[in-house]
Amino acid sequence: MGLLRRGGFARFWTVVVCAAAVVTGVACGVLAPPKSGTAAMTVLPGQASGIFTPAHSSFGKAVNDFFGRLPPPTQPVEFPHKRHVEIGKEGPELKCTETCHEGVTKSPVAGLPSVNTCLGCHAAIAVDKPIIKQITAMQEKGLDLAWQRVYGYVAQAHVKFNHAPHIAANVECATCHGDIANQTVAQRNVNMHMGVCVTCHREKNAPNECLTCHF
Amino acid sequence: MDRRNFIKLTALTGSATALASCGNPEHTIIRFLPEDELTPGIAEWKPSVCPLCASGCGLTVRVMDTDVEVTREGQAGVTRMAVAKKLEGNPDHPVSRGGLCARGQAGIQVTYHPDRITQPLKRTGNRGEAKYEAVTWDQAIAELATQLDGLATAADQKSLAFVTARRSGRRATLVQQFLAKFGAPAAMAFELFGNDVLRRANGLSFGREQLPTLDLARSRYVLSFGADFLGTWNSPVAHAEAYGAMRQGRPGLRGSFVQIESHMTQTGANADEWVPVFPGTEGVLALGFAHVIVHEKLRPADAAGRAGALIAGWASGLEEYAPDRVSKLTGVTVHRIEEIARHFAELRPSMAFAGGPPLAHTNALFTAVAVNALNALVGNINEPGGIFFTPQVATADTGPSASGAAPSFDKLAAGIVAGQLPVKVLLVDGANPVFATPQAWKVKEAFAKVPFIASFGSFLDETSAQADLILPDHSFLESWVEAAPESGSLVAVMSVAPPAMKPLYQTRAMGDVLLEVGRKLQKPLDLPWQTYEEALKTAIAPLAGGKDIDEDWFAIRKQGGWWGNLSKPAPPVAAASKAPMTFVEPQFDGDVQQFPFHFLPYPSAAFLDGSLAHLPWLQELPDPLTSAMWSSWVEVNPQTAERLGISDRDIVEIASAHGSIQTAAVVSPGLAQNIIAMPVGQGHSMFTRYATGRGANPIAILAPVMEPETGSLAWAATRVKISRVGDPDGRLILFAGAKEEKPNEGLR
Repeated sequence: MGLLRRGGFARFWTVVVCAAAVVTGVACGVLAPPKSGTAAMTVLPGQASGIFTPAHSSFGKAVNDFFGRLPPPTQPVEFPHKRHVEIGKEGPELKCTETCHEGVTKSPVAGLPSVNTCLGCHAAIAVDKPIIKQITAMQEKGLDLAWQRVYGYVAQAHVKFNHAPHIAANVECATCHGDIANQTVAQRNVNMHMGVCVTCHREKNAPNECLTCHF
Repeated sequence: MDRRNFIKLTALTGSATALASCGNPEHTIIRFLPEDELTPGIAEWKPSVCPLCASGCGLTVRVMDTDVEVTREGQAGVTRMAVAKKLEGNPDHPVSRGGLCARGQAGIQVTYHPDRITQPLKRTGNRGEAKYEAVTWDQAIAELATQLDGLATAADQKSLAFVTARRSGRRATLVQQFLAKFGAPAAMAFELFGNDVLRRANGLSFGREQLPTLDLARSRYVLSFGADFLGTWNSPVAHAEAYGAMRQGRPGLRGSFVQIESHMTQTGANADEWVPVFPGTEGVLALGFAHVIVHEKLRPADAAGRAGALIAGWASGLEEYAPDRVSKLTGVTVHRIEEIARHFAELRPSMAFAGGPPLAHTNALFTAVAVNALNALVGNINEPGGIFFTPQVATADTGPSASGAAPSFDKLAAGIVAGQLPVKVLLVDGANPVFATPQAWKVKEAFAKVPFIASFGSFLDETSAQADLILPDHSFLESWVEAAPESGSLVAVMSVAPPAMKPLYQTRAMGDVLLEVGRKLQKPLDLPWQTYEEALKTAIAPLAGGKDIDEDWFAIRKQGGWWGNLSKPAPPVAAASKAPMTFVEPQFDGDVQQFPFHFLPYPSAAFLDGSLAHLPWLQELPDPLTSAMWSSWVEVNPQTAERLGISDRDIVEIASAHGSIQTAAVVSPGLAQNIIAMPVGQGHSMFTRYATGRGANPIAILAPVMEPETGSLAWAATRVKISRVGDPDGRLILFAGAKEEKPNEGLR
């Protein structure tokens, strides 16, 4: 192995320590099975599971989390943003920040609409379309759409982003979210890294201290 | 690393990541429609009331939206809900004044505990085996109604017993009305560290059968006889706030504080002067102080009035309690007795009060009455900087009273075991007597003889594991919650608050379940309310005295209660005839040769009587004096330890005439050579994953010795022996100390 042959002393020991850590981890998992058999460990009917852990539910999630990688969103229905934005411009009152993502003007979070919001209009509009029928049926069953977030920060970034002041400062949605007005399902096609935030804050003379955005 | 290896590693990591991210199960989760209109990301603060002890502190709850796993019609899924995230003290509340103790902070874990009972359960295995099957609420209520109907058909309503934690306010009224209308005896309130002796003494001395409110903030000299008032006794949050004001809130004036006790508590560690005293002689010491004050003509003896008349020889100058005799009885030097007495009389306003171990001896009533007389002598009652009695809100309706008083808990257990008290249906609400009573009372054996037991508990503990039917209550954040504080405020208080959040599980408020059972009986009970909220509103809203009861109720529920001056405060009770009392040596169980040590169990700072041991934050809370956590220990004097060959953390056995326990030793200078002290709270055989099988329970080995006047357990009246049985085995865990055991090891 080149790693050992040409590596220095420190590198060799790094490898040894890593290997030892892996072996220990595996060994602990194998050698220390959870205790069982006592009465209190019994899971009663109605309790979610016996397991209470902050760990990830799958190895994949743990890896994604470790690398700070957000999996691509998969939306429950193909929501045509473009169509709705067009209608908003020409016809009835329909605005991103007032109709569907109304949290954006008053809270840190923009929010994702429930089917109740959809059916506010679609109880009367385009009711014969299959997708609307599907949504109506869901509401009747008390079910909601499991929208997935398109943008977001990994926990390790310790970012506290607040939408409301950005809207108040007239930052366009498109600045951070791309040209949603021309997309059907929202795509994550703006790479929102810290540089984008800092550049914009500089340009607009907004505060740039660490604690403005980070915990 | 060379290029080839780099590429290999990259390929490996990349493929692993790609494989790992295959499949994205989030969108397959069922999502239910939210029930509330929520503004995402905005926190709201709602009022609530802390139910973890009897102080009745007001809370504010930070409520915010989040995704919650729920089950609806048997289907698991996720919904958006406004849920409680953090508890703080309610700044407007007259008891807590924005403060909240560590126990209150941990109260949020009651709601989110992974071992909470989520739905009604019916026993399938043997009692104590914890084998249950799920039943619906309709089935559970029908089952309880059938059992009660069975009693009614046989005209045997007296065989219903109701065991509860000590409760005040409308919840107690509702239970009382339920039992009275059914024809059963009154509910039995059970608490291990009860204050019945002090209530009785205050009734005798001052006509107020309640705990005192300490006006520490304005006091200059505080004399505490064993009361851990900054940690666990009476209303600790109110005391802590006022204590801070007494010590540091007045420029140029710092109040002094003397603690008289046999074992150093957290409170004692804060004192300017710590006075060790022989157990059970605190009353003599109080009268020794009174003797000095009267003889040095600092105050006339008749200033004590009614409180002084309860002590034999008071009017003639307490000749029996001259300092040299008191010194021999108590172990406190004559000089110190005289000095404290002079300070107490001269540094006014001053106050004295007794609580904890001094009131857990066989002569406890004498001790409490003696301290009251000392207080009255100096004129500390209802004076700024002295002792007050919080005006009590009358919440009981003038409905039918229960048919017959309840027996005390030990008599109930003994009666059932002996077959004299045929209890056929037993209901349990918030009490855990199987854990918190001496084994000598045979509570478990008694419960085994009861044909049907139902519990309203939220957790499976030693008592609810005996139940045939569990009807889980909401957590306090999910239901209407109230408290009628007995002390801690100078004005009358009734804490009440609506649910801070919707229930997470299929639980129901105990009050509503009782009302529904009452309606479902063959002969309905005709209780005057349809819901628990109505029961609260009808009594509490009129306190505000406004024109519109709905408006008043809205304002009360918004601020988390009502407080103010009562239009008709209750007058003091007239003096009961009572022969003057004299000092009698306290009685201890166990032969002094065979059991040479006084055993002093005390409420732990984290778990009180053990009812909070299931909360992991409190398990993690280091004890203020020993820094021990997640474990039990026993404190031994250094000389005693040396004599018996006991070192720190050695395993020792403590044996009384009624049983033995093993635990780790902590060598501590804060107690006399003939005393060993142990915190109560651990040693649960069944109380969720965090408390089960952890530590030892000192209550188990207590002698069934009672304080004769009130019939409450004299929990400091047991003698024990102690011996070393083994080397340290890691069961004692100290904060940041030698980590010999990982506290989470073995948890799922």
